Amino acid sequence: MIQISRNRLCLFALFPLFAPMFAHAQFIEPTPAELSMTSIPQEPGAAAVYLFREETTDDAHHVFTVYVRLKVLTEKGKEFGNVSIPFERSEGSMTVDSISGRTIHADGTVIPMKDKAYEKLVDKIGGAKLVEKVFSLPSVEVGSIIEYRYKLHSDDGYVTSPKWYIQSDLYTLKAHYNWRPTSEEIVSRQGGHERVGSAIAWMPILPKGAVLKPTESPGIGGNAPQRIFDLSLADIPPAPKEEFMPPMESFTYRVIFYYAGATSTQEFWKDEGKYWSKVHDQFIGPNKGVKEAVQQLVLPADTQEQKLQKIYAAVMALENTDFTREHTTAEERAAGLKQVKTTDDILARKRGSSDQLANLFIAMARAAGMKAYAMSVVNRSRSLFAPALMDASQLDDDIAIVNVDGKERYFDPGQRFCDFGHLAWKHTMAGGLRQTDKEAQMFQTPGESYKAASVKRIADLKMDEHGEVTGKVDLSYTGDPALSWRQEALRGDDTSLNKDLRESLEAMMPSGLEIRVTGVEAIADYDKPLVVHYTVSGVAGNATGKRLLAPSDIFVASAKPTFSVKQRTTPVYFHYASVTRDAVRISFPPAIRVESAPAKDTFMYKKLAAYDVSTEQTATNITVRRNLTIGEILFDAADFPELLSFYNKLETKDQEPVVLVHADAGAGAKPGR
Amino acid sequence: MFPSLRTFCLIASTACLSAVPAFAKDSVPDWVRAAMTQPQPKFRAEDPAAVLLDETVLTVGSDGRATEHHRHVVKILRPAGRDEGVVAVPFDNDRKLLSLHIWSVGPDGHEYAMKDSEIAEFGLPGEGGQLYVDERYKVANPPGRDPGGIVAYEYEVRSRPYVNEETWFFQSELPGVKQSFTLQLPAGYTYRAVWAHHDKTEAVDLERQRWRWEMNDMPAIDLEDVPLHPSTVAIAGRMTVHYGPSGTDQLGTWQGVGQWYNDLSRARLAASPEIAAKAAELTQGKTDFFDKAEAIGEFAQKGIRYFVIERGIGGDQPHPAADIFRNRYGDCKDKATLLASMLSTVGIHATWVLVDTRRGAVDPSAPSTYGNHAIAAIEIPAGYNSPKLRSVVTAKSGKRYLIFDPTWEKTAFGQLEWNLQGGYGILVEAGASEVIALPVLKPESNTLYRTASFQLQPDGELKGSVVVKSFGDLSESSRDMYSRQTLKEQTDNRNRTLGHDLSTFTVSDVKVENVEALNKELTTSYTLDAEHFARSMGALLMVRPRVLGTDGIYVDRKPRSMPIDLKEAKLEKDEFSIELPPGYAVDELPDPVKLDLGFAAYESSTTLSGNKLHYTRTYTVREVTLPADRYADVQKLAATIDADEKNSAVFKKQ
Repeated sequence: MIQISRNRLCLFALFPLFAPMFAHAQFIEPTPAELSMTSIPQEPGAAAVYLFREETTDDAHHVFTVYVRLKVLTEKGKEFGNVSIPFERSEGSMTVDSISGRTIHADGTVIPMKDKAYEKLVDKIGGAKLVEKVFSLPSVEVGSIIEYRYKLHSDDGYVTSPKWYIQSDLYTLKAHYNWRPTSEEIVSRQGGHERVGSAIAWMPILPKGAVLKPTESPGIGGNAPQRIFDLSLADIPPAPKEEFMPPMESFTYRVIFYYAGATSTQEFWKDEGKYWSKVHDQFIGPNKGVKEAVQQLVLPADTQEQKLQKIYAAVMALENTDFTREHTTAEERAAGLKQVKTTDDILARKRGSSDQLANLFIAMARAAGMKAYAMSVVNRSRSLFAPALMDASQLDDDIAIVNVDGKERYFDPGQRFCDFGHLAWKHTMAGGLRQTDKEAQMFQTPGESYKAASVKRIADLKMDEHGEVTGKVDLSYTGDPALSWRQEALRGDDTSLNKDLRESLEAMMPSGLEIRVTGVEAIADYDKPLVVHYTVSGVAGNATGKRLLAPSDIFVASAKPTFSVKQRTTPVYFHYASVTRDAVRISFPPAIRVESAPAKDTFMYKKLAAYDVSTEQTATNITVRRNLTIGEILFDAADFPELLSFYNKLETKDQEPVVLVHADAGAGAKPGR
Repeated sequence: MFPSLRTFCLIASTACLSAVPAFAKDSVPDWVRAAMTQPQPKFRAEDPAAVLLDETVLTVGSDGRATEHHRHVVKILRPAGRDEGVVAVPFDNDRKLLSLHIWSVGPDGHEYAMKDSEIAEFGLPGEGGQLYVDERYKVANPPGRDPGGIVAYEYEVRSRPYVNEETWFFQSELPGVKQSFTLQLPAGYTYRAVWAHHDKTEAVDLERQRWRWEMNDMPAIDLEDVPLHPSTVAIAGRMTVHYGPSGTDQLGTWQGVGQWYNDLSRARLAASPEIAAKAAELTQGKTDFFDKAEAIGEFAQKGIRYFVIERGIGGDQPHPAADIFRNRYGDCKDKATLLASMLSTVGIHATWVLVDTRRGAVDPSAPSTYGNHAIAAIEIPAGYNSPKLRSVVTAKSGKRYLIFDPTWEKTAFGQLEWNLQGGYGILVEAGASEVIALPVLKPESNTLYRTASFQLQPDGELKGSVVVKSFGDLSESSRDMYSRQTLKEQTDNRNRTLGHDLSTFTVSDVKVENVEALNKELTTSYTLDAEHFARSMGALLMVRPRVLGTDGIYVDRKPRSMPIDLKEAKLEKDEFSIELPPGYAVDELPDPVKLDLGFAAYESSTTLSGNKLHYTRTYTVREVTLPADRYADVQKLAATIDADEKNSAVFKKQ
């Protein structure tokens, strides 16, 4: 919500003059083709299709109008007959009115909406109240066209720059968007940063051929000329939804407008970066408390690396309230604590949020005499950084960049138990703003090697003549897989962690095995591999009569195909590169011998992924070793068939069993149950 | 008249409670302190939190309107228990919240009293078709909500004016240390208490129309890791108190409950001319009872959009049938109402059955309105019989009713969805109302047949055609998928399902029939090409005769104390044939399997005829609930199915 700074009276004097423009909203008569439509070839099986969708914003009158014509194609599509309009009831808030609608059956029968809309509380927290106007179109059935419109009015003195989210879950045949911005000077606030100006900027992500052309109509009656943004579109596919898709929700077709106070993205980020850096430095310091603490923590003789390791360990030891619970104001007051203003306050509390702890680390590094910079990144699990989007709120998390012995290194102290000198995957290859010695700059963090994220799985099992196994399993994690478990432990306790660890192994192994966690090593020692010890018992093999078929790699015995589709339109996106190494030894009694085992095999996908499997046999055991390395996180959609082929091949190979047979097979011996 | 001394004391006590904010310091009341310091049992490591005190006082005024005063103290035991310390008190336009006070004690012993400004208010999210419901919640996140911390709250709420019962839930997912329910009735009133899933406990008579029940050291119901478990509400103990003027007819009986709903809703059945016209149109040319009822039943089922608009009494009372018909939308009781109204215009009597979708929630020994769903009972003409009438109950009156749920969009008329089968419901027939047992349908009413004919290639690739026919609840998810999902979503779903059995495969030539014809088998046929299906291991070729379709049951090895819920009665059959490539001879085939445990049976066989491998299996489930002591049999069934599904035939290259 943006506030108009002055000339209010002039602005509102215009209202009665233009109001009649909106008073006689007409519905559009359906065409025979629309009435008889049963599906759309572009999206077979679609629940519904937008025949037309229109959003108009008129700042002069503080009016936002929505008009929808939607064809219901399936039972599911009937759900679009229920409409909900959320809006806020607080300063500068909105009201909804002029709701009208109708349903047109496939035979042309028109059923006007007579029932009123209900206003429903969503939440009321402090002074802020979020409500919804809800209404339902009457007599909606498959084949109906539903049609409705409504208006949102903002309070006097406030305007909202529109956000046109063009791509939705449904196919859109035609859409029209229009904005008549105010020419008044605007005060915009974002995170306490106030800008004044009338400049308008926008970030368009549009289908090929679509162009947003601002025009200007001449002023009437001595008023300033009216700028008009108008966009008409046709045949807009629904937003893509695919498994292993990059976080593209911020990159569907859209136009985001701003009363920017800046004329270019460079100017915006320069200005925003200056403010952002200043705010960070004010919080970071370092101030007296941090300086004193660092003095006691590090020795003058320590190398920079040693100092930083000590500082990192000290920050890691603090409570990260993102994994526990943020303390309320009442608790802070009860503990005699005042409002958090600087990193000294975080240090005094011995707890803080992820960002607060990241900033404390920077403060302590600075106090130790090192060059340390803050960086705010977009969390890659949520989205990707869009410099063209002039909105600093897209920056999610803080990390630290420290110059150690002349080389800049990256740290993630806000991610409790993240390895020293590494970033959590969601902060790798992530864009954002960073501090430098001069000014803040847009920047992207580096990626991590697959070697940084490893899982080692070792099973040492004894199998009897009936396929029953008993034995031990050790799982060892480093990097992001370890971080994930360590942070899971922070959210719960030993009971919940053991349960989750057990269920995780149960999901990998053949069904029916009894699995127990017998020990967890280094759950809080982030600089060591996390090791989980298990015991397993139960039936792992399957008897065919005189043979036992045992899974060659028990850790992938229950694995399902990674991909369920043959084609895709978006790139394949994994969270992080990784390596998984399995070693499974099955010992068996002398009465049993290996009849057949998977042949050694090795193959690669380009130089980005590799797989190999091999076996070793003795008279009483077989050991299967399997390695899978995924060295890249993003694979182009065009390369998907080849990647799918790689996965199909390895998943087929994974399912080859070890065939065990009684040593005197042929005499009718049956090792099975 | 001056109030009695006891009444006066109560008023004074209430006044004190209301006055709490006036001197609200950060200190907890004595009753909270007493609950905190009472001896506590040893809690289980899995218990996230424990209820130290839960105290309800229900005071019924001389006008029959009740006020509930509630105190609750919970102790956080584990990090996962922090959520149990979040306070959420429901209220709505008819159920006014008169006061709410919240306190907490941190693990460090610091005490807090929350201010009104710290308490948020939330409406119900519009999920599950709830377009508008006036129920709201006062919600607070008290300070100190960490392991070892205590959260306490106290509220007073005015009960709905048209209700004359209150249910006390004394068993939940949390252990309860000290719990009580106190009833205060005005002179001339009486009550009847009924108990569900728990033995009756006598009330302590506190004199002057005041009674108290206590329930201490109640263990938690923890179903999180229990396979095949019933719903918590199907086993949790609860008590319902019915109250009314002495001499109230049928107080606390099923007849009384049914009469109450009848009085509340019967007028809503009135049919408008438009309703009668539509019913006539739908039944035009039909003379058979089933055909007429089916036409109207399917209209209520498919022609009325499901969603909820509830305000106050609207939580119990349906909208008028004429409104429902005009707008073509409504919730479950609205759909049942319109169905009964339409049927009445063609000479068929129908009424409501109040049920709960969580099997076992309605306890026949505990009359109450407790439940979450309304369906319809359609009276069957005397002497009329048809094999299509599958869900039939006979009332004490001797009348037979077809039980049908117009809200369940994919259940064929004549059937009843699985989760209601084996449960109970209240047949609303004014003075002849009663609790009825909802039938468990025959397995043949719920079927899945897979047939396939394949050719195995020398390289292990399997090619062939598959036909899947399903009916009843087993067809529901597929019907839903084909009627609601895009083609791409359908493909993805099918691939995911087949991915349980096959690693590299292609599906083509998909044909689907009878998606919306609920009383016909849903038939899906397709061509399947599965690479590497058979595995060559040296000279051996391993073939899994059970090519696709998983019927596995997840069981654990722990001792069982909970009843077993098998979900649904059903009949599944697979018949697959695989033509083998030349040059292979059978080395061994899986042994046949035959297991009949009464409640379920499983059999399979694998045979070779010429160069064709034939696999058949039949899996029948006849009962839906079993006592805990049958768990060993269920484990045996699960192991049998699991082994059979993994079995391989072994061939040797000649």
